[in-house]
Amino acid sequence: MAEIAFQNVTKSYGATVAVNDASFTVADNEFFCFFGPPLSGKSTILRLILGLEKPDSGEILIDGKRVNDTTPAARNIAMVFQNLALFPHMTAAENVRFPLVERHEPADKIATRLQDVAEKLHIAHILHKMPGQLSGGERQRVAIARALVRDPAAYLMDDPISALDARLREETRVELKRIQREAGRTLIYVTHDQEEAMSVADRMAILERGILRQIGRPVEIYDHPATTYVAQLLGSPGVNILSARRMGATYDLADGALQLTAPDGLAGVTELGLRPEDLRVTPWQGGTGRPATVTEVEPLGGYTVVTLAAGPTPLRALMRGQPDIRVGAEVALTCDPAQVIYFGDKGQALSRIGGERL
Amino acid sequence: MTAIHLQNLVKRFGPFTALKTMDLTIENGEFMALLGPSGCGKSTTMNMIAGMESPSEGRIMFGDRDMAGVPMGRRGVGFVFQNYAIFTHMTVRQNLAYGLRATRRPADEIARRTKAMADLLQLTDLLDRPSAGLSVNILQRVAIGRSAIMEPAIFLLDEPLSNVDAAFRAVMRTELKQLQRTFKQTMVYVTHDQLEAMTMADRIAVMDHGVLQQVGTPLEIYNNPANLFVARFIGSPGMNLLQGTPVETARGLAIDLGPLGLTPTLLPEQAAAVRPGKGPVLYGFRPEQATIVGDAQGMAMPVTFVERIGARTILHLGNGPQTAKTVFENEAGFEQGKILHFAPHPAAVRLFDAATGTALKGH
Amino acid sequence: MKDDAAKLGFRLTLPAQVLVLFISVFPLLMQLYISLTDWSPLSGLNWTRAWQMWNSFANYSDLIHDHRLWAALGRTVFVMAVCVPVEFLLGLGLATLFMDNFPGKRLFYSILIMPMMVVPAVAGYMFFMLFQSGGPINDILSGLIGHPVTIAWLSSPNLALFAVMVADIWQWTPLMFLILLAGLAGVPDDQIKAATLLGANPWQRFLTIVLPRMKTIIGIALAIRVIECFKIFDTLFIMTGGGPGVATETISVYIYKITTQDLIWGYVAAIALAILIVLSVACVWALKRMARQ
Repeated sequence: MAEIAFQNVTKSYGATVAVNDASFTVADNEFFCFFGPPLSGKSTILRLILGLEKPDSGEILIDGKRVNDTTPAARNIAMVFQNLALFPHMTAAENVRFPLVERHEPADKIATRLQDVAEKLHIAHILHKMPGQLSGGERQRVAIARALVRDPAAYLMDDPISALDARLREETRVELKRIQREAGRTLIYVTHDQEEAMSVADRMAILERGILRQIGRPVEIYDHPATTYVAQLLGSPGVNILSARRMGATYDLADGALQLTAPDGLAGVTELGLRPEDLRVTPWQGGTGRPATVTEVEPLGGYTVVTLAAGPTPLRALMRGQPDIRVGAEVALTCDPAQVIYFGDKGQALSRIGGERL
Repeated sequence: MTAIHLQNLVKRFGPFTALKTMDLTIENGEFMALLGPSGCGKSTTMNMIAGMESPSEGRIMFGDRDMAGVPMGRRGVGFVFQNYAIFTHMTVRQNLAYGLRATRRPADEIARRTKAMADLLQLTDLLDRPSAGLSVNILQRVAIGRSAIMEPAIFLLDEPLSNVDAAFRAVMRTELKQLQRTFKQTMVYVTHDQLEAMTMADRIAVMDHGVLQQVGTPLEIYNNPANLFVARFIGSPGMNLLQGTPVETARGLAIDLGPLGLTPTLLPEQAAAVRPGKGPVLYGFRPEQATIVGDAQGMAMPVTFVERIGARTILHLGNGPQTAKTVFENEAGFEQGKILHFAPHPAAVRLFDAATGTALKGH
Repeated sequence: MKDDAAKLGFRLTLPAQVLVLFISVFPLLMQLYISLTDWSPLSGLNWTRAWQMWNSFANYSDLIHDHRLWAALGRTVFVMAVCVPVEFLLGLGLATLFMDNFPGKRLFYSILIMPMMVVPAVAGYMFFMLFQSGGPINDILSGLIGHPVTIAWLSSPNLALFAVMVADIWQWTPLMFLILLAGLAGVPDDQIKAATLLGANPWQRFLTIVLPRMKTIIGIALAIRVIECFKIFDTLFIMTGGGPGVATETISVYIYKITTQDLIWGYVAAIALAILIVLSVACVWALKRMARQ
């Protein structure tokens, strides 16, 4: 089992704590993503896994063995760099073979491994070409093949596609996911793009300034975030966080523009999280409560982002397609209570949490 | 506050033509996005508007002034570079005040206007800090403030958000839009991110390989793309385009997609645009504009990949040479390997000539 | 891991470190030793026995009262104060020119570098010939003015120093040019464009963007030239021999003379060491100032 585990790992640089008591386990063959804003410790964790840094405290285990003192070369973890770093003067085949040749592996083993990996990544037909003759996608596959030819426990990627055009990013992340599935190896991936993380990861870990906040499947974390911070990190447009005023059996939100039945047995709710796609907007037709006013309409083609003024914080709703809605219109807001996320006074979720909360 | 007219603009660098005969008018006070992939000529166009490059042919007019021969220092243009080009050896204040000092405004005026701009951009507390080492978010505001303080009639921004990581981009987009509303200048914005363009622009000029593909409001371009490039480039994901030939059926005209079967019958306006036997066409519909139908109806394609991204689920369909994507709200039941039966909204279907790539219109 | 690399590195460079120690530290100690004595090669003693002529710090107090020494120092500083700024300004002007393309740029560049590659002694001889009373410089001046010019450059006390400075400027402006050209190329193009778009004219751009960003390089260029100029010897000595009289006697020339002609090596050692200390202090001070920026 090529599992990678951290147990209470801490790493500081001088006065700054880059990684704070991190514990997690990456399962075999998993596409595991570390996600968080810049300087949240993602790259430091990668460096600790690789062995380029030693933890100040805690244990790092690969395949059940403690590797704190093992050199990077001996750890059997491969890294694919953002710029791919293919040797331009060698053919694709020579590039892929390189790690094994360097280790003086026997020739027949090298040949077998090369063929194995080339088949898995569908690059057998371009092995004879030079990197300069390959397309971007092909070069990426060669780089990954080179990482996998050593049969590593896992391979790592640090923000590999952020430098690409938006359209190319969308296509490449699907490619990377496919490759990981076909190659069947653990991939540990770092990104700060929430859409990318949710698209590719089997499981992801959310980091806030060196602290792991939540680990789980992207869907779980999205639907059931552990804290307001996590809730706000995922989703575009971002989640609406409203202060909740309890009035008997209902919550009065946004100065009366939205009212929700309070679920039983949930005490200490100070804030509610409402995803824009869960906020239903309909034309105001009188009745109880108050209307909200549309302050901005952003038509994005497939859906429309509507900004509403209701209460102290503006709300955003995501409407399907191109509805006929104008700035200044008065609308009624509704929402299914089951899709609401309830938070306490310290920002922690009171309702169900997806994955593990830490 | 000026309109910009680009007339017959061509730009060559040696044997390479970066821009081929571009005609575009940017209205006074408009936020126009120049959108396209790397190398499409958008930055070249903007550099010519600023005066950093001169056209090989054609001319640029600000209002009714021909800009030929006017050096870049005298065009009254504000420019925000992709990497902001902040004077890192100066403080924030010195950056903001640079233009005013260079044009020798009186000291009290400089002080007053610098303070006003800093307040507007929430830079007041940072005024006397060295600009080196500040976060990208702040540098962007300094870059904008430095240009805006000169009150230029025209504001040019060259991919200012490409250096910003994804998390901040949404925040900065909103800020930029607010700024444009506040200053009310004519703004030209270069980007390769279609979502950025759709969110911020009044009109978008889509470009590819030096050629202007289409100009229109975001919804116009989204709903009625002029050709295949625009259809694919706009939208996240881009439009589905399936190859087929028009055939007559009992209920009207439909497109025969080969192994994928027949599409639903075309509406009369769409049918008017094609004729059986006229040659292959591309049947287009946007991923968000499909609905799930019963087993025996619509089109059937296997699901090869499921992408759950927050509010939406993107289904990748199709194993063979023809693939498609559909986007749905997060409903359960989508699994890799299952067959999806779906039909595009009839009114959302768009047809394109397979040979030329242009949209086929039925009137 | 990092420590292992450091230890290995130390061990690998040990031979080189020992060599450097031998070449620089040992002679320095020797010099200190001799400077505290009255020793000269004429004394008949082996230098190791120089302690027999010990005079403790007498040499050092002598040098403070040596008028000829101070005059030489003054001349040296004067030459430095004129030559280095001129070389700097000329080098800067040329470097700015070379930022743009113009026809014949490559050829002009090669010609411009050449003076630096001439052996200083050869340059000295060259200028010696140029500045003769019947030499080319006077001929050119005659042609320009219209009537014969026979200035005796090298035999006139005032003009000889001038001639020496001309030679130095000719030879070392190219070095300034090269260093400053590298510095100019390092100024980000975007910022210059941004400044232009904000309405700055070329002079303003130069003062507010280009110069500030070149601070470090300018510091380096000036430091190099100041130190080298202080040591000026080869060219000058061949041209004038330090004359006429002591009109062009700089500190190096003075030391040379008393070493080879008067042979009071103890005294010379003291002077040399004193200069070394003063220059080192100046260097460290200058480097600290640059590091602060």
